[in-house]
Amino acid sequence: MAAPNSAQRKACWGARDDLWKCLDDNKDQTGPCESFQKQFESSCPAQWVKYFAKRRDYLKYKDKMEAEGFSPAEGPKQGS
Amino acid sequence: MLTSFIGLLRGDLRCGAAMRRALKAAVHHQRSTLLPSHLHHTHTSHLHHTHTSSSQTVCHYRSVTNASARLLGRCAVRRTCPTHLTPRCFLSVGPKSGADAAKLQLRTRVAVTLVVGAGLTGAWWYVYSEKQQMLQKQRVEQLRRVALGQGDFSLTDHTGRRRSKEDFRGEWVLLYFGFTHCPDICPDELDKLSAVVASLDKDRALPRVQPLFITVDPERDHVAALGQYVKDFHPRLIGLTGTGEEVRQAGRDYRVYASAGPKDDDGDYIVDHTILIYLVNPDGLFLDYYNRLKSEEQISESIRNHMKAHVKL
Repeated sequence: MAAPNSAQRKACWGARDDLWKCLDDNKDQTGPCESFQKQFESSCPAQWVKYFAKRRDYLKYKDKMEAEGFSPAEGPKQGS
Repeated sequence: MLTSFIGLLRGDLRCGAAMRRALKAAVHHQRSTLLPSHLHHTHTSHLHHTHTSSSQTVCHYRSVTNASARLLGRCAVRRTCPTHLTPRCFLSVGPKSGADAAKLQLRTRVAVTLVVGAGLTGAWWYVYSEKQQMLQKQRVEQLRRVALGQGDFSLTDHTGRRRSKEDFRGEWVLLYFGFTHCPDICPDELDKLSAVVASLDKDRALPRVQPLFITVDPERDHVAALGQYVKDFHPRLIGLTGTGEEVRQAGRDYRVYASAGPKDDDGDYIVDHTILIYLVNPDGLFLDYYNRLKSEEQISESIRNHMKAHVKL
């Protein structure tokens, strides 16, 4: 299976951007964005769909960290 | 401005001296001359004559000074007898030898200062450039010790031609490791790299940079696939592939991390890898690297500086 060429890449990125915009507008509810999701999945290779989903999670997490800060996890409890 | 002020002082002093001489002469010859009473209020700022008789004489000998000034052509004294007495002389009035000697002394001093200043500046500049060269040599030594990109890779380019690292000696090289199935990072970085090369191309004074793309996914990225891929970027971009071992060797040289992810149903997978653009100089020496945060302008600027430094050595 050949890699997507430039036009296909751009189509995939466009679909991804549309989906993400929809999710942003709807507070990450997948319901209203079903059509965008289908469009995205048909434009992009399966691996890319998974990759971009993970990417979105990462970006959301990063925004949250930057906005709210974080509390370091407690380390392993010392013995007794 | 300072010189004119100094000249003014000197001139005033000489004017003063000239005036005192003229005053004596005038006093001798024209003591009896009387002038209107309103002139009693003459004020002289430099000579401090305030009482009537001398003001009269001062006023009178102003015309003498005027005459001598006209002769010498230097001392511009107010013609109208006095609301105040402010001779303005620039540089010299009075005995010629004194003035010339002083001027000569001034010129000599200025000349000597300039020569000494130039000497010091030259010495400083020499020391500074020596230091810069030494720093540059140290850095090159350090890079040699890091020994990145030391090995000689041997790969096939996207036209099917065999290429080795030696082939690119004598050229500046911008190197990027990636793979064609990359979702977004590789195209972004290659777009950035193409933009950098295009921007540097515009400057005809600079040597041309050769962009290279080496795959970290040789199983899928064979010659044809690479040929399709590099078309979308800078026309001089050369894609390189080879056997698994050859590619791993090239990656090792540059300490590139690459790890194929799990395959999905289609046999598709994503290769996790180091996202860096490497700069290699015409001697085949690794000089610098640029990560995702570096903008096209920053990279171009950095490469220009490296090129300038390289020529100097």
